[in-house]
Amino acid sequence: MHHLLDSIPSVVNVITESSLSIAAIVSMLIFALVFIAIAFRLLNEAAAALLGGVAVLLVTYIGGTFNEELILLPFEDAMLFIDWNVILLLMGMMIFMAILSSTNVFRWLGLRLYTLARGNTVLIVVLLITLTGVTSAVLNNVTAILLIVPLSIQLSLAMGLNPLAVVIAEVMASNIGGAATIIGDPPSTIVGSHIGVSFAEYFVNMAPVALICMAALVLINQFQYRKEYTKGKKTVSPALLDKLSSEAQIVNHPTLYKSLVVGAATFALFFVADMFGNMPTSVVALSGAALLLAWVRPDMHEMMHEVDWTTLIFFIGLFIVVGGMEATGAIDWFAAHMLQLAGGSLERATLLIVWISGIASGIVDNIPYTVAALPVVELLTVSVPGAAKNNILYWALILGADFGGNLTYLGSAPNIVAVGLLAQAGYRVTFGRFMRDGVPVTVVTLIIASIYLLLRYL
Amino acid sequence: MKNKNNPQAADLELETTPGIILCATRGSEGISPTEQEAIDLAKEHDYTIVFLYIVNTHFLDKTAAPIVVDVDDELSDMGEFLLLMVKERAEQQGVNVRTLIRKGEVREEIKQVATKICADMVVLGRPAGEGSAFELASLQAFAEEIEADTEAKVIIV
Repeated sequence: MHHLLDSIPSVVNVITESSLSIAAIVSMLIFALVFIAIAFRLLNEAAAALLGGVAVLLVTYIGGTFNEELILLPFEDAMLFIDWNVILLLMGMMIFMAILSSTNVFRWLGLRLYTLARGNTVLIVVLLITLTGVTSAVLNNVTAILLIVPLSIQLSLAMGLNPLAVVIAEVMASNIGGAATIIGDPPSTIVGSHIGVSFAEYFVNMAPVALICMAALVLINQFQYRKEYTKGKKTVSPALLDKLSSEAQIVNHPTLYKSLVVGAATFALFFVADMFGNMPTSVVALSGAALLLAWVRPDMHEMMHEVDWTTLIFFIGLFIVVGGMEATGAIDWFAAHMLQLAGGSLERATLLIVWISGIASGIVDNIPYTVAALPVVELLTVSVPGAAKNNILYWALILGADFGGNLTYLGSAPNIVAVGLLAQAGYRVTFGRFMRDGVPVTVVTLIIASIYLLLRYL
Repeated sequence: MKNKNNPQAADLELETTPGIILCATRGSEGISPTEQEAIDLAKEHDYTIVFLYIVNTHFLDKTAAPIVVDVDDELSDMGEFLLLMVKERAEQQGVNVRTLIRKGEVREEIKQVATKICADMVVLGRPAGEGSAFELASLQAFAEEIEADTEAKVIIV
């Protein structure tokens, strides 16, 4: 054990001194407060993260004036901790999504799938779950939920099904599908950007396991709701079907065609970006967004309203808060303890990261968890023999955080949004009710992820 | 016949009805006891029911996820569908029904609509556990508030 730690001076220092600096304790305290505020919904997530980031800087400047030990993270260093690739990638994708979703194409697609299934309840549910998973992989999982769940609720009610049978599975599909690409789910984007993998490299590593887990989700859902699906009506009242059809029309055909052309070109560029000097994913996303803006020519003021600045502020605040922990050695302290738990074994480290991430992401939002866990995993990657050669511990973090988001309705943003949408339709989902579906899916997908990682990378 | 010469009542073509019952709904499976009570009262008094769906997007405040979709529009579409379902079911029982969608706070919107359509009765459902829009004590206080501010009689189911 000791010879391993010798290769990492910072980790050795923490272990041998076995004490934390005042700065490290303060930075951990700030992070803990942000985490609590987010977990218990005491503050809006973005406000909590921004407040935490500002607290790091204020303690540095005001506290540091009186006591040098309170210098956590100067402003210039804080800027270096912000992953602008993540921020700009999110911004580019938001612009693209805003334009594409304004065409109503997802509602249209959902209704086409319903028609295609010809009243076969099981097939309709499988198609809706698949649509959500695929949309989450290529867009963003919250957007997928906001576009598909309202239609799914209506279709479920029209068919005489309990919408929970469909919607909870869709949410889980969005969390699983989001793991398939670097742009699908924030933990995927954060980790993928940090390790600098290309879209294609990420896809080749993560899409297979996401696909297997999607299949597992469908099977679990069919088993859990097998009785419910026998109740499904083959036909829907003509008035309700007319209403659904009237809402499912493409709104603006030229914009849709332009969006599809630019979207296809952007995805092609995502796949070949590493041929052009490892072009960052944010550059690809922004190129697509800029081209679409120039071609579609939407009202720019309106478009700037469509960019959700709350998300960007949330990420900037989080990066600064976690940057404070990195700069003060608090992350080293966590990493040293994780290293002790792993005992230098790559297998054990991989399983620890998958399962700790899975459980932690079920209890708190997986975004702050991922931002905080990332530097810990980075230190483990350089400490555990064999971990650096294939990024296995990073993949473990992505799969744990993404799949763990299915454990409770607090685990990820799509869950919270879907529960809110269900409440708007008169269906209240309690913590326990969500877990009844979430626990089996989370356990099964984490087992699949563990086996996949051990078989493929070790 | 308090509803005569009221613009909102005119929009909903309520001028000729002997009376109006307001019932806020969020849809859900089948006819809820609250909706059924409103239907029974409408049959008994030959009143028209106005089913109200309120779009409230406050649940999005809990997350910093990117919201680039017009959620108000998505929920309004869903609300129209839910109202259509409850309207179909109520009309099957021989009741005259109108529907209305509003955006905002549940309490404020119910009160405002009750005033605007000059409702004779407002039917409210009891709290249905975790995540309910009201607690029982606050529902009773709200009922008293409506009765004080409007001339409507409030019935809690």
